[in-house]
Amino acid sequence: METTNPGAQPAAAPAAGETLLRVENLVKHFEIRGGLLGISTIGAVRAVDGVSFSVRKGETLGLVGESGCGKTTLGKVILRLIPATSGKVTVKNRVLFDIPTEEERKAGRRATVLDAGEMKKARRDLQVVFQDPYASLNPRMSVGEIVGEGPLVHGLTDKGKREDLVRELLARVGLNQSHIHRYPHEFSGGQRQRIGIARALALNPDFVVCDEPVSALDVSIQSQVLNLLDDLQQELGLTYLFIAHNLAVVEHISDRVGVMYLGMMVELAEVDDIYVRPAHPYTVALLSAVPDPNPRNRRRRVILKGDIPSPANPPSGCRFHTRCWLRERLGNPEQCTTVVPEFREIQPGHAVACHFAEEVTPDTIGAAARTGGPVAS
Amino acid sequence: MTQRPTRTGELLSIDGLKTHFYTQDGVVKAVDGVSFGIRNGETLGVVGESGCGKSITALSVMRLIERPGRIVAGSIRLADRDLLALSDEEMRDVRGNAISMIFQEPMTSLNPVYPCGDQIAEAISLHEGIHRREAGDRAIEMLSQVGIPDAKRRAREYPHQLSGGMRQRVMIAMALSTNPELLIADEPTTALDVTIQAQILELMKALRERNRMAIMLITHDLGVIAEMADDVVVMYSGKVVESSDVNTVFEQPHHPYTKGLLASIPRLGEKRHRLEVIQGVVPNPLNLPKGCLFKRRCPSAMPVCDTPPPLQEIQPGHLSRCWLTPAGEPPEIGADAEAETAVAAAAALTVEA
Amino acid sequence: MEGTQVTRIPGGAIPAVDEVDLTPVRTYWQLVRQRFVRHRLAVIAFFLMAILVTAAIAIPLLSGDAWKETSLERINQPASLTAPLGYDSLGINTFARLMKGLQTSLFIGFAAVLVIVFIGVTVGSTAGYFGGWVDNALMRVVDIVLSIPTFFLILMLVAFWGTGNVWVIIIAIGLTGWTTAARLVRAEFLSLREADFVQAAKALGAGDRRVVMRHMIPSAMAPVVVAATLGIADSVVVEAALSFLGFGITPPEASLGNMLTKAQDYFYRNPLLAWYPGITLVLVVLAASFLGDGLRDALDPRQRVETN
Repeated sequence: METTNPGAQPAAAPAAGETLLRVENLVKHFEIRGGLLGISTIGAVRAVDGVSFSVRKGETLGLVGESGCGKTTLGKVILRLIPATSGKVTVKNRVLFDIPTEEERKAGRRATVLDAGEMKKARRDLQVVFQDPYASLNPRMSVGEIVGEGPLVHGLTDKGKREDLVRELLARVGLNQSHIHRYPHEFSGGQRQRIGIARALALNPDFVVCDEPVSALDVSIQSQVLNLLDDLQQELGLTYLFIAHNLAVVEHISDRVGVMYLGMMVELAEVDDIYVRPAHPYTVALLSAVPDPNPRNRRRRVILKGDIPSPANPPSGCRFHTRCWLRERLGNPEQCTTVVPEFREIQPGHAVACHFAEEVTPDTIGAAARTGGPVAS
Repeated sequence: MTQRPTRTGELLSIDGLKTHFYTQDGVVKAVDGVSFGIRNGETLGVVGESGCGKSITALSVMRLIERPGRIVAGSIRLADRDLLALSDEEMRDVRGNAISMIFQEPMTSLNPVYPCGDQIAEAISLHEGIHRREAGDRAIEMLSQVGIPDAKRRAREYPHQLSGGMRQRVMIAMALSTNPELLIADEPTTALDVTIQAQILELMKALRERNRMAIMLITHDLGVIAEMADDVVVMYSGKVVESSDVNTVFEQPHHPYTKGLLASIPRLGEKRHRLEVIQGVVPNPLNLPKGCLFKRRCPSAMPVCDTPPPLQEIQPGHLSRCWLTPAGEPPEIGADAEAETAVAAAAALTVEA
Repeated sequence: MEGTQVTRIPGGAIPAVDEVDLTPVRTYWQLVRQRFVRHRLAVIAFFLMAILVTAAIAIPLLSGDAWKETSLERINQPASLTAPLGYDSLGINTFARLMKGLQTSLFIGFAAVLVIVFIGVTVGSTAGYFGGWVDNALMRVVDIVLSIPTFFLILMLVAFWGTGNVWVIIIAIGLTGWTTAARLVRAEFLSLREADFVQAAKALGAGDRRVVMRHMIPSAMAPVVVAATLGIADSVVVEAALSFLGFGITPPEASLGNMLTKAQDYFYRNPLLAWYPGITLVLVVLAASFLGDGLRDALDPRQRVETN
């Protein structure tokens, strides 16, 4: 296995169990086109920039990060809904694609990409639940047609059998079977999300990418859907890649959690480990920023300066250095701005991409936390 | 603060507000008999899920309800002015001066064709009748007060050139430029990333201290409420179901909806295996249940819940619209009391909000 | 396990609340009809268009060759039961000729719009689905077609291929009028391509053809239907203008345009001869326009049904 990129070793590999999904050095750059005819490339949004991880069978890997961190793009590239720039994704020992980088290509390495027929087969194992339950269901199709589309596409042409299957799936996700002929607009957000889950389950997949599946739902409905996902995982032995920005939701559902910032994985560890002992300054700030629903705990926070930089023009060295509280505290070491930090294991199963992860201690965190005052950036 | 203020000490008093929408399918009672008040310098959190009427309440205060909606009953008083009795022109003056509002998506309330600084300057010059150039300087000052770096340059930029967090800062600067007594913030941080949300909340706290203004903070995020609010109003399907100071609401909630809401949110550091859920969905506003609006989802529902529940005083300053006694027992008249008895009992138990 | 007071949702009993709170059943088309019916002018336009189309088909069918039969005895005869609008200077039944003219004009209008929709949807969906250089190339073609003064191009095409041929006129209008439809479909496709339900279909393994035909075209058609309806009005006007100038339908064939031309000669003696085709033309254009407006409102799924 080639590990050329320093920020991209398959660190924090699962401790035990069969590996279901393996992502290696995944890169997705969206080219910004310009010029007279809109054909020439004038730049690139580095949405995903060298991410590696693996997910073992039956676990939930949570991916958190703020807007522009590339978590949604990462999910879509794994699903091959958008083509990767380079990198390799393996699902159930089947290589979906293995695309060389520019240098590797020059050195003569060829891309291997699963052909359309094989990819269609692979999709049975690889499904997705989307964020917006209003946009993810075709408004002109009935629930039966939506949930039954997967089986139909994969050759279950018998209408009666398909309807039986759909009814079973609707019951499984907690919907009334008699709603099979209704249209999406007749359902509430939570019910629509259940329809979306039923559609994903119709092909009996092993692996489901959940892309912010509850963030568009009302608070009281979120817990219903989270419990449903939990139950389905236990009953069907599903494996989830759970992408979300809500840290509490991710903590609840995940076994391991990866934190992304500007296209890079900055920390990856077991859920208890990362929430109790975050080792990356960004993870610390992210956790500190979550408002606690406990009015007695109006605690001091680590407030980051400034905005998230544009992924079209990411900072040099460590991408977080422009907002890092630790760097400031350590007297702005030069390394942060010049050297891309290695994604290294600081403990077995706990990887972090920070030169000074060892300096992240309760003392330094406490000193960085503050309250009040308009936060000038 | 456990004592609920008397009506006289309030900056904003809403009494029996009803805002209804007349749609083709029927009347949607978006706000149906809402009463609460905000004191000077206080932050009141209004919490509820989509469709509970929290935003419509705010728009009613601003008198920005559009067809097919209409304020059909109630009163809204700001200090000693009856807002619903003002002419449109007087109301515009109130909106420009005494009350400001910020929205979830600042892009919709900023004019895309003018630089941010000009928009703030215009608000200031309208408000104080000062010259535009002077107002421009004040605008830059406002922008730097809300933590915008390099304010002079930023003032010349257009809204689309700014990030979401920056736009919300510009919105706040604009809202505060007229030094309002009351700021209505409708989901001010919902569209923002969590690290940016933390910045904006810190900013709002600091500005609240300095300007000593009252804030009506509307959000679905219980974390934001816990962080910011002094008092809390919980709304459900157009009605206030519970209100008290923030500690009471979070620590001794009385209404089963509030309890369910607090129990159902995943919290950091509390990894439970299963989340509590509130069963079912919010009722269709065109087909509301009789009696208590929450009864179909309520784990404590009783036959008596078919009669509209009383708004009881649980403790001084703590109100809950539920048949359960303050101790959480079924009411004295019994869980399956006759409708007539129940109506009379409800009237007797209900306190003036 | 904590939270056991709560019933397990999957597999278990379905919570009764689920049903109670469902909004009343209305399919997409029921909603469309409901919204359309609320648009009073559109409903009137719909019936007007129905009457015009029915008359244009039925009356020439029933009256045979009356629309072109001349007779010295009937010259300028007044109205009667069989000729509600009297006879013209050649002794032709004016009403029969008017209806035949309407038939020709409507036929050209509808047929030209079909050509427009066919070319427009093909070009627009190809550009929008594939994007990239395909999109770029096709859209530059659109720009070129748009930059040519349409009416003169039609005049040129008609003059080149032969005046008076219905099909030539249809093709000429079709070849110049598809750009709007193409742009609409392309814009719809560009946004639909990113739509979650399209992505979901791809994730299920649906092929390009299924994605396009089943998911994208149905969702992209609403603006096209609106544009097509409005396009009928445009096409009828273009036909009238062509015929008026003598490049379109030439006598003895009848069209609203050439009836107007002929009416010029008798404008002072019998101005009504100009009014009949004129008013008919206006009715067709108004009916198509209001119909289009009504459809625009009705087909937009984002529109909620509200009163007042």
